[in-house]
Amino acid sequence: MSKKRAKITEFVKYTSVAGVGTIMVIPFFWLVSASLMTLNEFISVPPKWIPSNPQWHNYVDVFQHIPFLHYYINSFIVAVSVTALVLLTSAMGGYAFAKLDFVGKKPLFRFTLSTMMFPAFLFLIPNFYLIKLFGWVSNYLSLIMPFAVSAYGIFLLRQFIMSIPPDLIDAAKIDGASHFAIFTKIIIPLSKPALATLAILTFIGQWNSFLWPLIITSFSPQMTTVPVGLSKLSLAFSTYTNQNLILAGMVLQVIPVVALFLYMQRYYIKGIVLTGFGGI
Amino acid sequence: MRRVFWILLLVSIFLSFSAVAKTVLVIQTHWSDYQVNGIFNKSGKLIYPGLKQYAEEYMKLHPNIEIKIREVPFSNYLQQLIISHMAGKEADIYDLYSLWGVQLVSSHILAAPPKEIINAVKRNFVPASVKGATINGKVWGIPSEIDDYALIYNKKLLSEAGYTEPPKTWDELVKMARKLTKYNSKGAISQYGFAFLSGWNSAVVHPYLSLLYSLGGSMFNKSYTKCLLNNQKGVKALNEELVLFKEKATNSAGNVFNFPQNTVAMMIMAPWYVRSLKQAYGNQYTKYVGIAPIPPIKKPATLSYTWFFAVDSASKHKKAAWDFLKWFALQVQPKTNTTRAGDLEVNVISVIPPNKIDLRNHQKQLADLKVFIDQLKNAIPEPNVMQGAQIKTILMNQIVAAWNGQKSAQRALDDAVAKINSILARYYH
Amino acid sequence: MQVSKNRLRENIVAYIFLSPILLFFTVFFAFAVGFSVWVSFKQWNMLISPFSAPNVGLWNYSSLFSDPLFISALRNTIVYAFTTTIAVLILSLLIAVALNNIKGAAVWRFIYFAPTITPAVAVGMIWGYLYNPSRGIVNEILGWFGIPSHNWLTDPRYALMAIMITAVWAGMGASILIFTAGLKAIPQSYYDAAKIDGASRVKMFWSITLPLLKPTILFLLVTGMIGAWQVFDLVYMMGTNAPASSVEVLSLYMYNTAFVDFQMGKASAAAMILFVIVLITTLLILKAFRKGGLESYE
Repeated sequence: MSKKRAKITEFVKYTSVAGVGTIMVIPFFWLVSASLMTLNEFISVPPKWIPSNPQWHNYVDVFQHIPFLHYYINSFIVAVSVTALVLLTSAMGGYAFAKLDFVGKKPLFRFTLSTMMFPAFLFLIPNFYLIKLFGWVSNYLSLIMPFAVSAYGIFLLRQFIMSIPPDLIDAAKIDGASHFAIFTKIIIPLSKPALATLAILTFIGQWNSFLWPLIITSFSPQMTTVPVGLSKLSLAFSTYTNQNLILAGMVLQVIPVVALFLYMQRYYIKGIVLTGFGGI
Repeated sequence: MRRVFWILLLVSIFLSFSAVAKTVLVIQTHWSDYQVNGIFNKSGKLIYPGLKQYAEEYMKLHPNIEIKIREVPFSNYLQQLIISHMAGKEADIYDLYSLWGVQLVSSHILAAPPKEIINAVKRNFVPASVKGATINGKVWGIPSEIDDYALIYNKKLLSEAGYTEPPKTWDELVKMARKLTKYNSKGAISQYGFAFLSGWNSAVVHPYLSLLYSLGGSMFNKSYTKCLLNNQKGVKALNEELVLFKEKATNSAGNVFNFPQNTVAMMIMAPWYVRSLKQAYGNQYTKYVGIAPIPPIKKPATLSYTWFFAVDSASKHKKAAWDFLKWFALQVQPKTNTTRAGDLEVNVISVIPPNKIDLRNHQKQLADLKVFIDQLKNAIPEPNVMQGAQIKTILMNQIVAAWNGQKSAQRALDDAVAKINSILARYYH
Repeated sequence: MQVSKNRLRENIVAYIFLSPILLFFTVFFAFAVGFSVWVSFKQWNMLISPFSAPNVGLWNYSSLFSDPLFISALRNTIVYAFTTTIAVLILSLLIAVALNNIKGAAVWRFIYFAPTITPAVAVGMIWGYLYNPSRGIVNEILGWFGIPSHNWLTDPRYALMAIMITAVWAGMGASILIFTAGLKAIPQSYYDAAKIDGASRVKMFWSITLPLLKPTILFLLVTGMIGAWQVFDLVYMMGTNAPASSVEVLSLYMYNTAFVDFQMGKASAAAMILFVIVLITTLLILKAFRKGGLESYE
């Protein structure tokens, strides 16, 4: 009887997960599908879901129209650097705010939170001034440094590090471990799911970033990133020009993000292992 | 030996100086892809040069000049211009939408053109485009593009409903639109007899102003101290639009993608849309797409707007910049009797060239835009007023509110005028 | 003596850990915000030097409150921020729990994350199809239940709601991922012990999962709220055909004020007002969580 009930519960669970999942994945599916369509199929109403004759050459054409590989490399340099810096600074800040006791902790934490509360357009002009002042206009630092620290990341890591049981840290302290050792040997390994999450979100944010790179790379086109490069395919006042190339370009743009997401899945394994430190 | 060394040193110093002395001209444009890089045939041969090839040609003629092209998408163009100018990294030459020009002129960002260029523009260009490039009574650049509005209709849908001709008057258009509007089983519009576009301010405001001009109305008084839209003509123009909305025979949900899906019978649009339609319809274009003058309420009229080439006042090479523009946009090539800019505008960008000589000598290539070109004689340029984009957005918001039944025409225009007048009061006395 | 020495050492260590962050905020944040506060008292069109822009005192601030569009934007943003943040929070928690112990979790997680990685243009396009008044699937499905067709994205009564639905759809991916990381941090032994005690799944959810997820919930509530107050992309893309007063949000208003109207001073003033509102909201949320007996989490 209860076995049967469990089976029904399972069935309901899987069908609802699949049902909602379909709604979530449809636009992504359509994007991939539309990137293989002809213009006529693309604009047909109701929308077509499967191209009758897949236009694989759309993908080749992207590389012939714009130096896509070059844009890819630029985007990689920027997104990987920013992600690495954000992970490092967020873990450091998160640890300090979560586990250390110091003068000015509360106001500093609130200050950190408050940096998220200003809209991005406010920073465009002042930050461009600074970048010019530092002489970074034609340097990758202009695309990396303004995003090297993320209040969001610090907050995220703080919340996760807080839930690491204090007994672990106390035990390590008794063994004579330094704060630095605690950070690298306990905090970092135990924060892996949170770090993986932050890595994915930061990478996506940088990978898709548009406005700031557009302004910077209009002065130094050799640093053009993928989204900015793709925007060079769309022509002002021309609704359909290069539509197929733009869609194919978007799919190419998404691939590294998908790869990263799938790779990071290894960090979402069941539960955290506490036994190595004597358990709770 | 020593002498050789000194000679080499002197030569290298001289060379490095001459390299430094090379004049760099930066051209900022909203054009991109083939518009900049040129159109090639399948075997890789250049058929029509883009901006880049013209720049290269000029550099060959003037080895001391280096031209750099800065591509910036239309939607971020002004923003990029503001930020680069603030930081002292401005371009030397811009292609500008006339409405932006007002703000730039009043902030002293544009350089006044040399007398001979002003005279050449006044002499050789279509009057509407000269007015478009005129701000506070002075010409500020060389027009690069002129656009006006016309009725674009779906021949197939019209003939299915028994119409062989597009409407000749606005009343006729309304009657036809009623008949051409179709609904699905749940009462939603499945085919627009006439579609009003929305989504950006020109799409809403320009057709409205075209109707206002047809009534002989005007948006401002001569000195720009008052907005006149809430007078009897302004309200009538908006009420003419509202007829179809009130009968639920149209709504503001239509977009530029609907026409090639054959769900729009008629709409008012600018020449750039023709390019999109030709792409969407391919060789079926002439079978489906018809273009006619906007059916007048009273007299034939249409609104026009202009783009023009201008030079930044902070540019260190203003003379070189104007010299390039003269060569590019004014000099007539003996072989074709057209200008280089005209060739680019017609063959590559597909816009109406504002230079009369280009209009005359490109007739074959411009055949699809014939109605638009003919209507230039009835075109009234968009007013070059301070805070033009802001004023246009205010007007758009009020018109759309009226379309959706939130306000009456009178009330919407009263609200718009109150806001617009308070802006005008800050700049015009 | 020993204690205070340890204290001092901990202070020093903390500031060493925080030094890159503090340096960053001093350079890239303090300057920009200071500049913006200064500009908010000026009439500056960004085309002239800010030094030569006229001072207008509090005019920028007072002109905002006499602008009906700003008031509409404020109202719409409040509705948007609270509705979407709470909806995203509840739905993504349920989904994350459902996906936690499911076969093929990685694949499911990818499917639910797809909206987050789909480029915004494609999202706007496909939702435009779904909301299409005559052929869209939304009207089609509602028709089965006898609900009449609406012009979802242009009707002033429904446009904001339609955008909010898309926003929830698009915003869940990141929250699900963060909840997943939170769930993974809960030791399995807690559940094993509860199972031995014969606790039901629902009971375990309320007594183990939910309390232990509180830091995560606090994080998502605060950052979700801050993010929602600044919503831009979706409204910019989907709200353009509706009457402005019904969909205008603060960030769009500020952006247009700055880069269409050339009134950077007024836009900066609006940003300062937004900041104060968001700050108060955040502090209230933090306070509420403290009251809930979670001193240590805030």
